Amino acid sequence: MTDQQSGRQPGRRQVLRGGSALAAAGLGLTGLTALTGCSGSGDTGAGGSGGAGDPRKGKITVWSWQGPAAELKALIPDFNKSHPDIQVTVEDIGNPAIWDKITTGLAAGGQGLADVLHIGVDYLPGYVERFPGGLADLAPLGATAHKDAFAAGLWQTVSPDGKRVNALPWEANSAGFYYRSDLFERAGVDVGALQTWDETIEAGKQLKARTGAHLLGIDKPASQPDAANFFQMLLQLQGAFYFDLEGRITLDSPEAVRAMTLIKTMNDAGLVSNLAGGWNALMSSLKKGTAAVLPWPTWFGGIIEEQVPEEAGKWKVRLPPAVRRGGPTAATVNSTHLAVAGSSKQQAAAWSFVEFALTRPASQVRIYRGKGIAPALLKAYDDSVFHEPSAFFGGQRKGEIFLGALRAPGSAVNYTADYARALKLVTDAQSKVLLKGADPAKVLGEAASELARQTGRKNVR
Amino acid sequence: MTPSTPAAAVSRPAAPRRSARRRGRWGTAAPYLFVLPAVLLFAGFKLYPIAWSFLLSLHRTVGGTETFVGADNYLRLADDPLFWTALRNTGVILVVQVPLMLALATGLAVALDSTLLRGRPVFRLGFFLPMVTGLVAYGIVFSVLLNEEYGLVNWLLGLVGIDPVPWLTEGLWARISLGLALTWHYTGYNAVILLARLQTIPRELYDAAAVDGAGALGAFRHVTLPGLRPALLLTTVLSTIGTLQLFDEPYVLTGGGPDNATLTIGVYLYQNAFKYFDFGYASAVAYALTVLVGVLGMIQFRLLGEKS
Repeated sequence: MTDQQSGRQPGRRQVLRGGSALAAAGLGLTGLTALTGCSGSGDTGAGGSGGAGDPRKGKITVWSWQGPAAELKALIPDFNKSHPDIQVTVEDIGNPAIWDKITTGLAAGGQGLADVLHIGVDYLPGYVERFPGGLADLAPLGATAHKDAFAAGLWQTVSPDGKRVNALPWEANSAGFYYRSDLFERAGVDVGALQTWDETIEAGKQLKARTGAHLLGIDKPASQPDAANFFQMLLQLQGAFYFDLEGRITLDSPEAVRAMTLIKTMNDAGLVSNLAGGWNALMSSLKKGTAAVLPWPTWFGGIIEEQVPEEAGKWKVRLPPAVRRGGPTAATVNSTHLAVAGSSKQQAAAWSFVEFALTRPASQVRIYRGKGIAPALLKAYDDSVFHEPSAFFGGQRKGEIFLGALRAPGSAVNYTADYARALKLVTDAQSKVLLKGADPAKVLGEAASELARQTGRKNVR
Repeated sequence: MTPSTPAAAVSRPAAPRRSARRRGRWGTAAPYLFVLPAVLLFAGFKLYPIAWSFLLSLHRTVGGTETFVGADNYLRLADDPLFWTALRNTGVILVVQVPLMLALATGLAVALDSTLLRGRPVFRLGFFLPMVTGLVAYGIVFSVLLNEEYGLVNWLLGLVGIDPVPWLTEGLWARISLGLALTWHYTGYNAVILLARLQTIPRELYDAAAVDGAGALGAFRHVTLPGLRPALLLTTVLSTIGTLQLFDEPYVLTGGGPDNATLTIGVYLYQNAFKYFDFGYASAVAYALTVLVGVLGMIQFRLLGEKS
């Protein structure tokens, strides 16, 4: 899923260790046991109204993963200067392990959950809908005051009804187009002039013929759910998604068919390398220079710098081409947030930390310097760090490119509680197209019908 | 026996009185007290979840609240193509991989039992070692080895001029890869069980067979195989249950893909519960699986167990 990449490292999951040749009381029952812990009863402790505890003192725990966890930890000394009586412990749960841990905690009525939870946009609506009261309402704590502080569309993500505030936005990633300028130069392509993906495909053919490099890579058998990231980006560049704002299914909309057809065209022309295996394959491909374009969001720039430091000056970045001529080139493709557990006895203290971390530009600038995490807080971008030329990216002002995308009026995206199910059907459909040459309209139509059947949602056709 | 009985009774006259005195206070309660922890643990961690999960399978989360839907989740199962895909995939593994693995394990057990083999403990250890490897760890190792573009196996094949094999990216190959991983992991374990049984077969039977003119194959067919029957039944039933519950390997190796070619019931159950938060439906899948395990186990006991 989109946020799973922003964990920077793929985690390892050790859930439901059903030893195969054991006794009869195996997964049938193990599964039952695990599920019973997750009754999904919606009975989530303190009711999530917000406001419990003292905002000036208490002991709170924060759950996050890898890089972001390290950065939150680094904020604690500063936080304790203004809040000396709040003791903060940041735990790195790992990504994607954190999602199972939060899910089971919420399903168990908030038992064992940390006070502050780092949650991706792909999980937030599901948690809110499936576990009412599982997350505290931050509005009574004063969250609404920060409503206009964040990038376009993000407030609607954390506060769909405009009243209850389920979390505060932290990281906002815009769609990006990282490319090997040296390869394109050798192929005689002016990347800056590419306006649409159709033109990019033509350029990709030239690139393949002259350099042997693929245009881009996709995890064709969908080893990981983020195999659909590129498809999703093409959808969002058209202002579309899997669901519309009313939660109806739009998986087989003309925009979706157009996006999948573009992917098929690229694949049929031999321009797509196979990143089967997910993250490891992506990193290998990056090091081997298999593909000339990495259509990844903001945070991926840091990964490229980290993985291939010797290629400084060869890389450049721009916003992606439009799907249709003159169409948008900006899209916020994912975001992460900090929420407060509804079961927390220290909600007020937890909120103090969330507010400190996410609404003070100084905190966000510090985090950006540490791990390159792009803040949703627009004021943070006043800092010079976002406007410095990057030696790695050929002297480009990378921060400004993405800031431009964040300021562009983005259409709100409704992930709904059924995003994970939709994503699974989409990755299956994409695998059919990429591995078996299936017809995009047909497989997306089938996926949409199946999603409607499984979720009871209406299909817009 | 007869004369000693009254003597024993006379020689220990005080014993019954002492125990009667004790029984008055603790005697009748003691056995219950001893089994109580086990019963409580069983009730708390098995019975309660099993019962609660059944209730859950009759509910669906609508707008955050549990709504009673009766048998709806079970009816949904019947009409769910992915559930049937998962069932079919699991069935294929059961029919193809399990017999092959058990045949291999039997051969291995006979080889490991042979006096002709030197350094037998080393081989036994070697074949059993995969079993102690962490499921997730070996899944990851296999996925790295079998990577189509960057894996060691395809690199080695390339050295001898064989084109890259889409181990994990094409449906049939993904199933084969899964079967290979399972076989690597569990053959040694089954071989050790069979070996233990093999060593209980009396040598005299082989001698008698030899006297009767049986060759190596004849002895295997008429002495070894019948002798192994109880162990074969055990390994077959355990492997069947293990296969029906298969989760870790497909989860780590292929994620159930490509395009659900390696989706098992275990993975589908997990997806519904922890990815889609559809706990009621996942519970129904779990119950369907439990019924399946029970029925297949019974059939196997009937077929294989009658003569043992």
